[in-house]
Amino acid sequence: MTSTNMAGEAIEPEELRDGAARLLADKVDRRAAWSEVQTFQAVADLYSEMASLGWFMLTVPTRNGGLGQSFVALAPIYEEMGRALSPVRISQTMAVVDVLAVDGGADAAALLGRIAEGTARVIVLEGDGDLSAQTVPEACHATTALVLPSDADAQVLLIDLAQPGATLDNVLTWDRSRRYGDVRLSNVVSVALSLTAGEASVLVQGHDDLAMAWDSVGGGRQALDEVVQYMGTRQQFNRPIGSFQALKHRAADLKVKLEIARALAEHATVAFSARTDGWSTLAGQARLLAVDAFRTIAEESIQFHGGIGFTWEHDAHIFLKRALMNEMLGGPPEQIRDRVASGIISKALLRE
Amino acid sequence: MNKDQGIAQLRNELRGWLAENVPYDWRERQSGDDVPGFLASQREWLTKLVAGGYATPHWPKEWPGGGRLLAEQVAIFEEIARADAPRMSLFFVSLYHAAMTLMECGTEEQKARHLPAILKGEIWCQGFSEPNAGSDLASLRCKAERRGDHYVVTGQKTWSTLGQFADWCLLLVRTNSSGPKQAGITFLLLDMKSKGVECRPIKQITGDEEFAEIFLDSVEIPVENRVGAENEGWRVAQATLSSERGLTAVELTERLARSLWRLVGLVTAGGQDVALLDDEARRQIVDIASRIEGLRALISSLTVRRIAGMEVVGDASIIKLGYARILRDFTALGLRLQGMSAMRDMNYVLGAGYETSNWVFDFMNSYQWNIAGGSNEIQRNIVSERVLMMPREKLA
Repeated sequence: MTSTNMAGEAIEPEELRDGAARLLADKVDRRAAWSEVQTFQAVADLYSEMASLGWFMLTVPTRNGGLGQSFVALAPIYEEMGRALSPVRISQTMAVVDVLAVDGGADAAALLGRIAEGTARVIVLEGDGDLSAQTVPEACHATTALVLPSDADAQVLLIDLAQPGATLDNVLTWDRSRRYGDVRLSNVVSVALSLTAGEASVLVQGHDDLAMAWDSVGGGRQALDEVVQYMGTRQQFNRPIGSFQALKHRAADLKVKLEIARALAEHATVAFSARTDGWSTLAGQARLLAVDAFRTIAEESIQFHGGIGFTWEHDAHIFLKRALMNEMLGGPPEQIRDRVASGIISKALLRE
Repeated sequence: MNKDQGIAQLRNELRGWLAENVPYDWRERQSGDDVPGFLASQREWLTKLVAGGYATPHWPKEWPGGGRLLAEQVAIFEEIARADAPRMSLFFVSLYHAAMTLMECGTEEQKARHLPAILKGEIWCQGFSEPNAGSDLASLRCKAERRGDHYVVTGQKTWSTLGQFADWCLLLVRTNSSGPKQAGITFLLLDMKSKGVECRPIKQITGDEEFAEIFLDSVEIPVENRVGAENEGWRVAQATLSSERGLTAVELTERLARSLWRLVGLVTAGGQDVALLDDEARRQIVDIASRIEGLRALISSLTVRRIAGMEVVGDASIIKLGYARILRDFTALGLRLQGMSAMRDMNYVLGAGYETSNWVFDFMNSYQWNIAGGSNEIQRNIVSERVLMMPREKLA
């Protein structure tokens, strides 16, 4: 799987993965989530580091000062962010890049340029007029909002969040591995793009589904690696507890679940990048499997760790709370199932 | 022409061939069919596949239809599954296990005697497992004693797939009990018509008789029917066991992916009325469809790895565990959605693999995948110890 694009030279995804893993290992202090919410400064610093590595340029078209890569380049970064429990997720901004690249207008081009140079960070909101949105990841760090009106034929709006009518309040959630905020807009000035909400939302949705799938696959991998290692060293009855079949067989089942989820994330990534038939359904399915695998692994990890896994000082709960949040963001699993159902059913009825 | 173009061309040709040669009514014809009918349909299908050159892609190129790359073999299995052609259950052991064992380890005489016969429909079964040697196969006890130019064999074999129809059997026997258990095993070719052989089909929980047990009472097997050296049969058996190279998983998962329409059809009056689908059923269908799609993606990426000669220990176990679980959940869902009428539906299609259109039959049959070919528990040992590198259990 390489990230190719008509305009840009392909960048080897594994190189991006290595770079991401190094940066995140160096800069993310996941134990910050033990005591209090991540500080504004820590998150802002991480954003700058990511910008200096050129991550925000990756999928920006070359004509807008970017590197012209496809989603294939982002997948390993998202996966590593999941493994590292990164407090920053750049996926909302990068989903907007996909929309702006299709839009092609002057306002879109201007924002693309700012994203590529690392000075713009975007959140996506849904609604009309004086809207408010709650529990938006990294809302307080955003410079711009892309608003999808409820009418699918209405034009997409860009809103500068530095204006007085935009209020951003940091909120505390059970997932302290990231920062969340509430957004209120009142009498704000907006700029209309040429793309409609219907056209934009399917792209945002696909990108968000896959970003969440990869974050969850990464989180699940890391949680499983750590608990398997623990079970190999923790001794009871004069042997490592990982030698007991009652535990290792459950770990094997988790591995199977994770590998199936990861394979679908890869498959859906290729489909989304090439926009092949059915990519939107596949992306949603990849999200469903991945968030489920992450949550199951994180739950089992608490149990496998025993008493220590029930303590605040141990990291197991940080994974579990992030997994619960990953399952909640973008709507509860029932809603996501209902969203992809028609794609699956029509394909089945065609006996394809 | 590069490799990918070659495979695309192969797929095209095969699609055309399948469109003309798959008996379009085979499901109807084999629904509720009796054993002679099943045997006749299987023979007819084998004859067609051999004539078309699609039965032996894994054989060396001297043979008709042989010399295909593994990637081409995968493509053939996928296309056959996608065309919803019958499975080749009756001849699978002959074409894969028997033929590949002989190709790799057999004498020229053995090859000359059996390989052409296999193409004409000689049926083989496997005599490996015993009542007391299942997961721990190497502990087998069926005993063979050398007397002049033959072995005298006494013992019992079980789980021989379709053994009751077999002409020949790939037999593992114990010729030495003194050393390590793997070191005293010999590999023999048993003519099922030999004196002292009794084969009884085993009725399974489905009511079907897909397996048999074989009783051997002082059966004489000529020494010329030995494959490999005496006491070196364990190595030969590894050739037998690795002969199908994951192709069954490719085929069965393709079939499963394509059978989603049966589930959807069940709750939409055959696709006539999607509004009949309630929330609960719709979400359960989404879940199982997603898991099937994930398994398919996993098999496809691991197959690429295998084709590149980079297969990793445990790949096959992960696939088998995944398929077994998904197949059981898929058939259980079908059963639940159909409700009581499923409990009264006694028709099923022989030779349709795990999608006979009868939900109870398929659900019962899915347990086969949890047990046969290394039970789920053995697979979990492999995944935990050799993939996750967890500590081995101390044996009592």
